[in-house]
Amino acid sequence: MRYFGNKLVLLAALATAVSFGQTTVAPAAIPNTPAAYRELKFPPLKHIPIPEVATYTLPNGMKIYLLEDHELPVVGGMVRVRTGNLFEPADKVGLAAVSGTVMRSGGTKSKTGDQIDEELENIAASVESEIGESSGSVSFSALKENTDEVLGIFKDVLTQPEFRQEKIDLAKSEMRSGIARRNDDAHGVASREFANIVYGKDTPYGWQVEYATLDHIARADVIAFYQRYFFPANMLMAVWGDFSATEMQAKLTKLFDDWHYEQPKVPPFPPVREKAQPGIYMAKKDDVTQTFFIEGHLGGQLNDNDFPALEVMGDILGGGFQSRLVQRVRTQLGLAYEISAAWGANYDHRGTFEIGGSTKSASTAETLKAIQEQIERIRSSEVTQDELETARQSALNGLVFAFDTKTKTLSRLLNYEYFGYPKDFIDRYQKGLEAVTRADVLRVARERLHPADLTIVAVGKTGEFQKSLATLNLPVSSIDLSTEAIIPIAKPEPKAGAGEGAKATELLERAQQAVGGADKLAAIKDMVEIADLHVDQSAGGATMRRMDRWVAPNFFREDTTLPFGTVSIYGNGKTGWMSSPQGQAPLPPAQLKPVEDKLLRLLFPMLLSDRLAGRTVKWFAEGTLDISDGQGSTVRLFIDGKTGMPAKVEYSSPGLNGAVSTIDETYDAFEEVNGIKLPKRITLIQNGHKYADVVIVSVKLNTGLKLEELGKIK
Amino acid sequence: MRAHRLVFMLLPLTMAAQNLHEFEKKVTEFTLANGLHFIVVERHEAPVVSFHTYVNAGSVDDPSGATGIAHMFEHMAFKGTESIGSKDWPEETKAIDQVETVYDRLDAERNKGIKADPAKVAALESELKSAEEKANSFVEPNLYPRIIEQNGGEGMNAQTSWDSTEYFYSLPSNRMELWFLLESQRFIEPVFREFYKERDVVMEEYRMRVESEPQGKLMQAFLATAFSAFSYRIMGTGWPSDVAHLRRADAWRFFHEYYVPGNITLGIVGDVDPAEARRLAEKYFGPMQARPLPPLLHTVEPPQEGPKQAEIESPSQPLLFVGYKRPDQYSKEDPVFDVISGILSSGRTGLLYKELVRDKQIALEAEAEDTFPGGKYPNLFLFFLAPAAGHTTADNEKAFYQVLEKFKSQKVDAATLARVKIKTRAGLIRRLDSNPGLAGLLTAYHAIYGDWRKLFTSLDELDRITAEDVQRVAQECFVPEKRTVAYLIAPKQAAGGAQ
Repeated sequence: MRYFGNKLVLLAALATAVSFGQTTVAPAAIPNTPAAYRELKFPPLKHIPIPEVATYTLPNGMKIYLLEDHELPVVGGMVRVRTGNLFEPADKVGLAAVSGTVMRSGGTKSKTGDQIDEELENIAASVESEIGESSGSVSFSALKENTDEVLGIFKDVLTQPEFRQEKIDLAKSEMRSGIARRNDDAHGVASREFANIVYGKDTPYGWQVEYATLDHIARADVIAFYQRYFFPANMLMAVWGDFSATEMQAKLTKLFDDWHYEQPKVPPFPPVREKAQPGIYMAKKDDVTQTFFIEGHLGGQLNDNDFPALEVMGDILGGGFQSRLVQRVRTQLGLAYEISAAWGANYDHRGTFEIGGSTKSASTAETLKAIQEQIERIRSSEVTQDELETARQSALNGLVFAFDTKTKTLSRLLNYEYFGYPKDFIDRYQKGLEAVTRADVLRVARERLHPADLTIVAVGKTGEFQKSLATLNLPVSSIDLSTEAIIPIAKPEPKAGAGEGAKATELLERAQQAVGGADKLAAIKDMVEIADLHVDQSAGGATMRRMDRWVAPNFFREDTTLPFGTVSIYGNGKTGWMSSPQGQAPLPPAQLKPVEDKLLRLLFPMLLSDRLAGRTVKWFAEGTLDISDGQGSTVRLFIDGKTGMPAKVEYSSPGLNGAVSTIDETYDAFEEVNGIKLPKRITLIQNGHKYADVVIVSVKLNTGLKLEELGKIK
Repeated sequence: MRAHRLVFMLLPLTMAAQNLHEFEKKVTEFTLANGLHFIVVERHEAPVVSFHTYVNAGSVDDPSGATGIAHMFEHMAFKGTESIGSKDWPEETKAIDQVETVYDRLDAERNKGIKADPAKVAALESELKSAEEKANSFVEPNLYPRIIEQNGGEGMNAQTSWDSTEYFYSLPSNRMELWFLLESQRFIEPVFREFYKERDVVMEEYRMRVESEPQGKLMQAFLATAFSAFSYRIMGTGWPSDVAHLRRADAWRFFHEYYVPGNITLGIVGDVDPAEARRLAEKYFGPMQARPLPPLLHTVEPPQEGPKQAEIESPSQPLLFVGYKRPDQYSKEDPVFDVISGILSSGRTGLLYKELVRDKQIALEAEAEDTFPGGKYPNLFLFFLAPAAGHTTADNEKAFYQVLEKFKSQKVDAATLARVKIKTRAGLIRRLDSNPGLAGLLTAYHAIYGDWRKLFTSLDELDRITAEDVQRVAQECFVPEKRTVAYLIAPKQAAGGAQ
């Protein structure tokens, strides 16, 4: 199976170019618009035939399940064994996987694995074995007429594996190659690191195979592992396909007649450690253009009474095209192709509640923020009746697909038996779904989703998004992909002498808070400010009226009324123009700089520089920050130690003669506009000499100013 | 083992005909007056039914400068219709027209190139944004897929490949009529709403599948190197710079030209009454207008004059693609290529696995794909190699050529040839038990070969392949002049790694 499987995995990605949907598909909302589709009347669903499964136990203790299916001339079978990598010793992680692989590839007492390969493939049959997290299996598939021969090989692999050394070496070397390649796929990194962190890297659910643990695995370990778990009373066997159940029963009884082997009962699997690992864990991977993220925390078990409600909740949040996350993040914001959420539940241990997707590096924080909002939303008010109905209907209507092939019924039965679930578990689940109410969904969202416990793993170009993650207000760590170790990045704790980056962010946040809060600042989308510039006597003593207009994020225009007419300067961060009574001309790049400088020190965007693309905020000295726009302009911002208010900015400005001046602008007389404190008076000092007083005549925010207006020449 | 070989060399002679005869009893076929072709297969094991729409147009049909439009249309096919997904269609259509008008003005300004007025461009961009917001305010988001999900739809998706675009899902069989309604409407009155927002989604898909995926990056370079003229040179997602400029009108043009009834095959497999299916087909798909078939592509890849190669530098582990030019799937040699790929790469007995993975242990993966990236036009026989840790693309390539030369120099033995044939046959039998799988296979075979029976009769062609055929075709195909190699290597390995 593994070798057939690999080809599919590797080439499927190439053979199929692209597809519309993501991998998870589930429920949907009821429309208001009457349309023909709503008038369709469907007949009741036909009776779902439940196939009969014959069960019995062999004298050696092995439980057998038989299911006849005569549609095609093939027979399949599988033994399920209670074992798993959860039973591996910590210093031999990988032992279960090696044992599972080499059981088949290492051959039996009488035949090498390579001989078995040829023998089986000559008759288009297969026998495969593997051991996963919490079960192991040996399976076969045969054309009907070869059933006996294939069963013979199947039994040999199950009961007489030889574990030849050269195949143990091969399996280990393939796993080493796997370790070398495991950080190549960003999505793989995100899901692995997420699971390992949530379950705990030092627990059997979270540890992973490493070169060192492979080095500890010897043939004796493999044989001991096999012998401990592969005994008849520890197995369930299912056979399905084109045969008569009575004949098959006789055949299997005879086949396993000589196999008697006992071992002490296998203990339960270790419990999951229940300890939240909140925070953002970033892994730097520079050869991608998207950030692949997974966030979530521990989920639950399938036999939880609230499982149907939790599943409905997960579906409404991020289960299908109707879900809130797809609607918001994919359809409305266009931020992601893949975005989904699911409440995770396993049969015997807690699963993980997960939200995952990918978005271009620059929109990482924006996407994570949009997700946070949806988690909050589903926890704060009831879902609509439409949402509930759609989620329930789609789950209930889709339930028939759990019965659409006979083998699904058989494998479900096997699962129930293996994990000790009642045979009618799926019927109970159906009743549970039918009973879910809006209040249930809200209750389970509040009880079981814990925003403060979220583990967020983000893999990608951290250089392009790390800074903006600060707005999410969570502790940040980095995962070093060369060692896969987690290194905490100190949270802003200036007193404890933490890193300057964190101190800078904290200081800027203080200033944001002082003037009215980051949210209020972020809500400002445009500004029209009229000011009078009283030039000091020493510099000529004139008065000029100036109108500054700005539209977020970086469209700016300044109109200054001078004796000979109005001079206007316009810039949008990339290009600009200047107009005067003499005419209009584009600004050459050199003259664009003063406009960019002005943009940089506009108060609201400047105070939000920690979240604006391209800007950096650096700690300069106590109470002082250097803010740069990444294009060569820097402004130094001084913040009042007592009040946290912005006190003054300092910057250098090229004069007309090419000499560079240093200019100070000291803020004064703050007044509140739209909930934000803004200076009404600014004193300009040039190279240490007073140059002018600026008196703000009026400031209007969020006027609805249009870009067209701003860009008009006159 | 020896005894069985005899048995199985005889068996193929009878099995194909028998299977076909049995299978044919379950199949009903009909063609509507407008040219739409339906294949209905009855399987009453469970009250479910699977649907598959195969459109015989894919990314190779993308016009130059508008690459990615076939894929973009596929996304638009989930955006609903005039009656599904709109709060107020008359108002919505006006608002959509307004978006296009503003976009036209924006393009007109941008088309001035260096003389474009940045202020005007910015103003129009802002106006476009408002117009889009207005148009989107009339949308019931994702209503079309929501209806399918709500009715228990399973496996709903679509895919655009180089040769085809396919749409598929399954429903509880009592809801079959819903599929007729939804599927017909999306191809009779599609509405390309939220076009530019969806374009952003498609750009994210490109970033995910190509830019952020070592194999995707390598494949993009490999195809662009192997083909100089034919459209197999471009990934199905198109070039991102083209996609960023796709317009709604591009999608319309593509739809009108390629989504014509004669170019579409529909498969229905499961608990279905063929007479009822026919009645519903006439009712819902009958109104679809007959239109002429799209033009055939006339660009022909010029003959390759020598080996080609491409390199991608990447910090991830090395990978290697090797491709050889081969004829299209209508060539009489097509089944020989199937056999060759079975011998070289299939299960645990494929030569490449045995030599490179199992015995020499220099590769983690070594696989072949006999037709890539599509089959309708001359294409590539593709090999994929992932070196094992500590090995390079150089040593893998060298060892790979040794396997290939040895394969070319000897006639394949009878046991191996028989094994490949029986595995192919059994593979088909095993594929017959899945409704969605069957619906996909039968529509594809009808669309490609004109008859779904080719699925079975191709096995007879396969049986006639001899060891001489295999050697002859391998010797013709696997030559350096027809070869393209693409390496994904670490920057520091780049200097000497690819020889």
